[in-house]
Amino acid sequence: MTSQRALAIAALQQELSRAGYVAEPGLAAALLLMRDLERPLLLEGDAGVGKTEVAKVLADINRTRLIRLQCYEGLDAHAAMYEWNYQRQLLAIKLLEHDERAGAKDLAQKEQDIFSERYLLKRPLLEAISDQRPPVLLIDEIDRADAAFEAYLLELLSDFQISIPELGTVRATSRPLVVITSNGTRELSDALRRRCLYQYIDYPDYDKELAIVRKKAPEAEARLAQQIVAFVQAVRRMELQKKPGIAETLDWTAALLRLDISVIDIGGAERIMDTLSALIKTRDDRVAFPREVVARLAAAC
Amino acid sequence: MLSASERLAQFPGFLRANGYGVGGGDAVQALRAAERSGVLDQDVLRWSLKALLCRRGDEWQRFDELFDAWFLPANRWQAPQRRDAGDGAQSAAHPGGEAEGERSGDEDVRPRRAASREETLSSADFSALTEREHALDIEALMRRLARQLKHIRLRREARARRGRRLDLPATIRRSVASGGTPFHLLWRNQRSVRPRLVLLIDVSRSMVLYSFFYLRLARALASELADVHSFIFHTRVTSVSQALHDPDPWRAQERLHLVAQGWAGGTRIGESLEQFNREHAPRVVHGRTAVIILSDGYDTGEPQQLSDALAQLRRRARRIVWINPLSSRQGYAPTCQGMQAALPHLDLLAPGGDLASLRAVLPQLIEALH
Repeated sequence: MTSQRALAIAALQQELSRAGYVAEPGLAAALLLMRDLERPLLLEGDAGVGKTEVAKVLADINRTRLIRLQCYEGLDAHAAMYEWNYQRQLLAIKLLEHDERAGAKDLAQKEQDIFSERYLLKRPLLEAISDQRPPVLLIDEIDRADAAFEAYLLELLSDFQISIPELGTVRATSRPLVVITSNGTRELSDALRRRCLYQYIDYPDYDKELAIVRKKAPEAEARLAQQIVAFVQAVRRMELQKKPGIAETLDWTAALLRLDISVIDIGGAERIMDTLSALIKTRDDRVAFPREVVARLAAAC
Repeated sequence: MLSASERLAQFPGFLRANGYGVGGGDAVQALRAAERSGVLDQDVLRWSLKALLCRRGDEWQRFDELFDAWFLPANRWQAPQRRDAGDGAQSAAHPGGEAEGERSGDEDVRPRRAASREETLSSADFSALTEREHALDIEALMRRLARQLKHIRLRREARARRGRRLDLPATIRRSVASGGTPFHLLWRNQRSVRPRLVLLIDVSRSMVLYSFFYLRLARALASELADVHSFIFHTRVTSVSQALHDPDPWRAQERLHLVAQGWAGGTRIGESLEQFNREHAPRVVHGRTAVIILSDGYDTGEPQQLSDALAQLRRRARRIVWINPLSSRQGYAPTCQGMQAALPHLDLLAPGGDLASLRAVLPQLIEALH
């Protein structure tokens, strides 16, 4: 039985696919729900599984702006919400001082002026809620910011307004689509999780990854793409410090194409070794790939 | 038989019984979501509810199974059984009034004998203290120790603070009040940088007399310091941070017992550390992390494996400290193979067989953690 919703999901999947993102139906369903319920979407998963990409493609298909807030340790409200442009304010004051014609009434007016929107520097969060068209707000790697910032963010996400003491409260002119990503270096608060829809993104399986490679690197021939994906999947099954993500797969594909390697087989193990730096990113992991292992993996593809 | 919408409305409750962090409002949200997605298409409903009701990775992994158990007709009768089992485990987790009574009884007498008891406690080897009644005193002592750890570090930070930095935006902002002349300079506070602590506690058979106390130390540390992550290991590593966070010490202990399967078995330190490196280290250990291993170093695995695993961990972490309960004994030398393999990678090997030696080693420990 095909319900209306299932059709909508399939349509969204196709749209995402046209924009260059291969999404599982579950993710498409979550994106629809996110729009319906106006809730942020929290994405978790290992590095390199395409979390950030979701926000980008979402902005793409909605034909709207992507506003990105990259979180880091010590990120504070000033860097995330707004700041006054002090230099310009000072300049204005100095100019005012030398303007001898100014009367008392004028002065009060000018003073007002100094704390007006003209001197306000919008940082991503303020920008996101004061845009005319609802943009996509990507809050990337929120686990890197500290808990205090998370609390700040909660306030924004529940009321969609920011209060600026000198100016008053700025209400959202439009509600942005909020995508939050986390790598899980820090446990997020339950309050934040409660407000979000949740989606765990795992490493792609063979079919999905093949679809991604075919889409992103169409110049690789079908047979090579299959081999590449089989090879990477086998690498992921090994015990590595850092498993290759989708970005690594695509990098490696590009590297192979660049070296004109059109087929992965035992004979080409030597040349494959040369390209592995695109796939394996730590020294310890590199040690786990001597020539024999590469040859064995290549033969299995 | 429940109607479809009743069944749906009760689903969040079923998830809650299975340990999900869903709240009361979620039932309403679930119904709203189902309205949008329709209840006829099983998969669409599944995807929608999954996004709505899951909060974290492990819930995500278990969801499909629970969804099937609740919504698929064939398994209908499994659901209530499951819930019963969950409740049973929970009530077993608090051994109820008995522990409660013991505790309050202990509380009555504690103030009178606290001072003298503390002295004997702090110098008694942990292995000699197995009586349950000592537990709360030890908890208090451990807590004090943890507090000491915190204060010493803060004081050191205060003393080391040198060369304040001007906060230019704030200064200029302030100067707006005085017509742009910066009369008042504002300074930026040095961000206090606290190391993250990761505790790896050996709970194998040879450590059975000590691990209990180390777990208490971990618990006390976690309640005093913000960024503490605790793991136990014997032949494999398990995170116990969640269990230790339980505010009730007895229940925390029960939860630990549930977590630790194969508790007090043999030790394979190298293998455990390797597993830790693989599964937890990328997430938990960063450049400001101090890893504290609490173990006697008796390893039934390959010393080489231990050495490799420590070397790998060493590259990720800022400090590695090994606290060995045996080395406070007279005439102890770290001769066992495990310790020999570990030594080159350690910043500090400290004795920790009793509270007094832990306290004595504290300055060194803090020095090493800095």
